[in-house]
Amino acid sequence: MSRALIAVLIQRVFSVFLVGFGVLVLVFALLHLVPGDPVDAMLGETARPADREALRERLGLDQSLPVQFARYLGGLVRGDLGRSLYSDRAVTEMLAERLPATLELGLAALLLALSLALPLGILAALHPDGTWDRTAMGFSLLGVAVPNFWLGPVLILVFSLGLGWFPVSGRDAPGSLVLPAFTLGTAMAAILARMVRSSLLEVLGEDYIRTARAKGLSPATVVLRHGLRNALLPVITLVGLQLGALLSGAVITETVFAWPGIGSLLVEHIQRRDYPVVQGCVLLIAMGYVVANQITDLFYTLADPRLRERT
Amino acid sequence: MWRSVWFLLFALLVGGCSPPDARPLRMALASAPGNLDPRFATDAVSARIIRLLYRTLVDFDEQFRPVPDLADWKVVSPVHYRFTLRELGREFSNGRRLDSEDVAATYRFVLDPVNASPHRANLQRISRIETPDVDTVDFHLDRPDPLFPGYLVIAIVPREEADLGHAPVGSGGFALESWPEEGRLRLRRRADDVVVELLTVKDPTVRALKLLRGEVDLLQNDLPPELVGYLREQDGVAVERRNGSNFSYLGFNLQDPWTGRREVREAVAKGIDRAAIVRYLLKGGAAFAGALLPPDHWAGNPNLHGYDYDPDGARRLLAGLGFGPEHPLTLSYKTSSDPLRLRIATVIQAQLRQVGIELDLRSYDWGTFYGDIKAGRFQMYSLAWVGIKTPDILRYVFHSRSLPPEGANRGRYRSAAADALIESAETASTLEAQASYYRQLQALIHHDLPYVPLWYEDHVAIHGRSVTGFTVARDGNYDGLNHLRPQSRESL
Repeated sequence: MSRALIAVLIQRVFSVFLVGFGVLVLVFALLHLVPGDPVDAMLGETARPADREALRERLGLDQSLPVQFARYLGGLVRGDLGRSLYSDRAVTEMLAERLPATLELGLAALLLALSLALPLGILAALHPDGTWDRTAMGFSLLGVAVPNFWLGPVLILVFSLGLGWFPVSGRDAPGSLVLPAFTLGTAMAAILARMVRSSLLEVLGEDYIRTARAKGLSPATVVLRHGLRNALLPVITLVGLQLGALLSGAVITETVFAWPGIGSLLVEHIQRRDYPVVQGCVLLIAMGYVVANQITDLFYTLADPRLRERT
Repeated sequence: MWRSVWFLLFALLVGGCSPPDARPLRMALASAPGNLDPRFATDAVSARIIRLLYRTLVDFDEQFRPVPDLADWKVVSPVHYRFTLRELGREFSNGRRLDSEDVAATYRFVLDPVNASPHRANLQRISRIETPDVDTVDFHLDRPDPLFPGYLVIAIVPREEADLGHAPVGSGGFALESWPEEGRLRLRRRADDVVVELLTVKDPTVRALKLLRGEVDLLQNDLPPELVGYLREQDGVAVERRNGSNFSYLGFNLQDPWTGRREVREAVAKGIDRAAIVRYLLKGGAAFAGALLPPDHWAGNPNLHGYDYDPDGARRLLAGLGFGPEHPLTLSYKTSSDPLRLRIATVIQAQLRQVGIELDLRSYDWGTFYGDIKAGRFQMYSLAWVGIKTPDILRYVFHSRSLPPEGANRGRYRSAAADALIESAETASTLEAQASYYRQLQALIHHDLPYVPLWYEDHVAIHGRSVTGFTVARDGNYDGLNHLRPQSRESL
């Protein structure tokens, strides 16, 4: 590995920490500025002021915001994200419990999206303005336009209730991943298909493609080896961005399908104003975004020799 | 390469899930329990599950009168109550016998300010707890309070257990089987080892669909009325209702120049067609309310029914103040962002427009809404009192010294007569005498209209034909799970 690449790596790691700190400050400030008090949510309407104060003291909410933030930061350095105000469970433990489900859903959605988007995008690019193109782009438009909170229940109605193929929700039955993965993956597939189409169309008009054809290579070799390989570079960037979005975008899908992941954990605890859990979830999602983007950038640099030379 | 990708995808989708366990009886909940330690739990779901896992000294009957659960009691003196533990429900799920030291330890823990238990407030009259023998507990008070037994509803925990929030050990009808994830709790019924799984499914539509597909056996409450109506029409589904006691009302700011006037409040009360709202929006799932305590509460007033719909009367009252449909009185009306509450508010807005009141409807997220109400930043709002059992709530809501943050007199209602009735009730020596004062107080409040009483929403349970034996409780608790059983194939 060259010295320049190591320098880039160090720079990237530093920027990850910087963004992480920024997210932390922002989330902490926003959460505490939003009206609504966890103590109110916990004690209900009939609590006496003295009890409110006692609980606030026990939870450490009686201290000033900078002190609370410093304490949170101190814990974070030791890998301690605090404890849930409600259940008194360690936030790291709660996140670790939920993360596999979110990753499983995200990975399945990503694979589904890629396996739909690549053939659709290629077909559309090979037959511009033809039936395949219109069909693929029609699907793509539909995929982008249909919101997950609508698509999810419709899929449940058709495939769970109507056909009885898959369970309605949850994660404990065989096939339970299908509908949430399809719900989450459709929009991503739609965006990727459009990107593959436009990128491949552009590449297929390049001189080196004409040269490849002139050399007598088969159409499949020209498209897949010479065309698609180069067209995939911007697609890789988009996949990286979507990877991060899968963590946060799964909030609605996880809620609809009662999928026990980070998204549903976040929704449950936002309503309770459970600061440490919400902070932990948002931090994890944000870091997921940042790390995915950084890895994509690095991968992009490695994949494209021109960029490698520039660095 | 593509073959591998397809294989991986297939494996993930179909085989990547945990294998299904033997099917327990399943109930779907709208939210997960937060904490199953009765000394700290505050949310409704936790409280209902705690009732299944633990037992309390005292429970309530259908009229909300305190009745013995774990213990009988006698009043030795107005400041000394002696509780004698009964035989029933004395065995903790860890096998040990519950004794008076467990009772004392539970209450001492709650009373210790260091522990900051949210349940300390009602128990602060306890000055001393003694345990003369293993079956007897003496509570000494610093002043008399005939309502005292009704406060002893903290579930009794074994004194040696520490992590009850996550590993509850009680002497109730159920024991914890497993708690593999926050939204999935398995309880074992101790009498017959039947396992009941409580599953969190946030989306009400998905909860209903799971019931229809047989993935869950039972739902209770937290469903929009139209969804209940839809489920009622489905084959293989039974809907059961029970009158509830959660009191929905409209509150006014009595310090406001307009809502501070009784004529305006009466015009609002008479301009609302509650029958239409209950019939069309709530699908008949509510009973009209006349006061905070339901009429069959031991301290309730059965003669109060709220204000009848009288649009002409409302117009006359407003005309007297110079307002009418052509020249309406504008009031702001705050509500939460809950879709059903918002729909109800929209209907009230349309109804009041007919009599000459233009409502400026403002819906907020719960935190903002509740903050505004507590701070008195409103002219009119709608809310509900949930889970009220003892009449001391009337001091908390209507006494002139109960302004926030000391109490919940958010409308700043001040009435010397109401204060006197509350204080007389509190010093009365018997529940009957107290009930009489509280009935007079509620009649006075009904007249003064700091609140427009709306309705008590029903509790509703919906179950598939695969189960039987569940009954809906008056306060919406889950005690019916004690008798839930699978329907035998022959009877299906």
